[in-house]
Amino acid sequence: MVNSISYYLNRFKASLKIDRTIRDGVAEELYTHLQDKSRELEKKGLSKEEAARIAIQSLGSPELIAQQIYETHAQGSWKEAFFSALPHFLVALLFASYYWQNVVCLSMILTLTVSIAIYGWHQGKPIWLFPWLGYYLMPVVVTGILLLNLPQGWGWIAALIYIPMALFAFIYIMRQTARRDWLYASLMLAPMPVIFGWFLTLGTGNEFLASDIWMARLQTKAPWIVISFIALAAATIGFIRLKPRRYKIISLSIPPLVILLLITLASRVNIDFWGCLILLFSLFAFATPVWIEARAQR
Amino acid sequence: MNYVRELLKGNTDSLLLCLISRHPTYGYQIVKELEKRSNGYFQFKEGTLYPALHRLERAHLIEGKWQTLSNGQQRRYYYITERGRQVLATRLATWQDFSTAVSAVIQPEII
Repeated sequence: MVNSISYYLNRFKASLKIDRTIRDGVAEELYTHLQDKSRELEKKGLSKEEAARIAIQSLGSPELIAQQIYETHAQGSWKEAFFSALPHFLVALLFASYYWQNVVCLSMILTLTVSIAIYGWHQGKPIWLFPWLGYYLMPVVVTGILLLNLPQGWGWIAALIYIPMALFAFIYIMRQTARRDWLYASLMLAPMPVIFGWFLTLGTGNEFLASDIWMARLQTKAPWIVISFIALAAATIGFIRLKPRRYKIISLSIPPLVILLLITLASRVNIDFWGCLILLFSLFAFATPVWIEARAQR
Repeated sequence: MNYVRELLKGNTDSLLLCLISRHPTYGYQIVKELEKRSNGYFQFKEGTLYPALHRLERAHLIEGKWQTLSNGQQRRYYYITERGRQVLATRLATWQDFSTAVSAVIQPEII
């Protein structure tokens, strides 16, 4: 009896990708339900095994219950959806108002992002946290790119020290996020391919150091940058508001990839080796959780 | 049979709210109570009960609280909230009107 009920509950838990405390609570409820029913059937003269089998049968497919529970809990409110999309809107606003050139403004937004990310992390990682967390990781990665552009020789030394530290921080946050739900890791990393796409198509290597060229290009591309971040915000709202998991995957995975493709096609800039590597890394990091989830669903 | 299932599906929330409003109760007791009160007419699919309870809880119509029984077992009892009572009252009134209207239409004509 214990084995078949444990097996049933393990199947249920494996299929339910929500907050662990809620998941364990529902599993406990199902467990007491199965115990109550089994006990009642045993009183009617059935063997323990037979009683457990019938009790499990009456509850039905654990995967189906998990899916229905997921749809109940996975849909965030409009408030959560808006707050999740807010960092994308802030970036769009920054470029729409041309305040991205203002160091004070940039610092304020960066401080706000980091503070909100830290606050959310210590408040039980609510769903709105993950897009903020994505931007929280950006300075870490951008510093890495800047280090690669140091004078000959120094870049490599800095990279050798920096990359393991950055990867450690990156993987730690990814793991903590994916533990809650794989899709949240992708939600967190959704801006990454878009930001790198823009970053690298605006200029590479020495062009970046000659900031005038880079700034001039950024100025002309600002309206398109605004549009791409508004599209990201819309994708995030869709992700939070949609109930079925497969629709969440579609809403999350398609927009960043389409935006990145359009950026690359429209800019017609040759991306160098490091650029390609960084872009591939960001795409890989973003797409892997979705791919794992899609495989698990099949 | 499908028609009954559809009717039950459309009224699950009201039935659950109604049972929970009488006294705080838990999942398995709800299934038994529903079956008993309807003289076995409502054969509730047990697996669909918990998603429905959680949906009502998310809508703040009921509230679940864990309680430890004397034998040490944990049970989650559901209580109706004030908002739940208001929604139930509205639904019951609507159901009464609907039921009266349907009965008036389908009753045989007296010649």
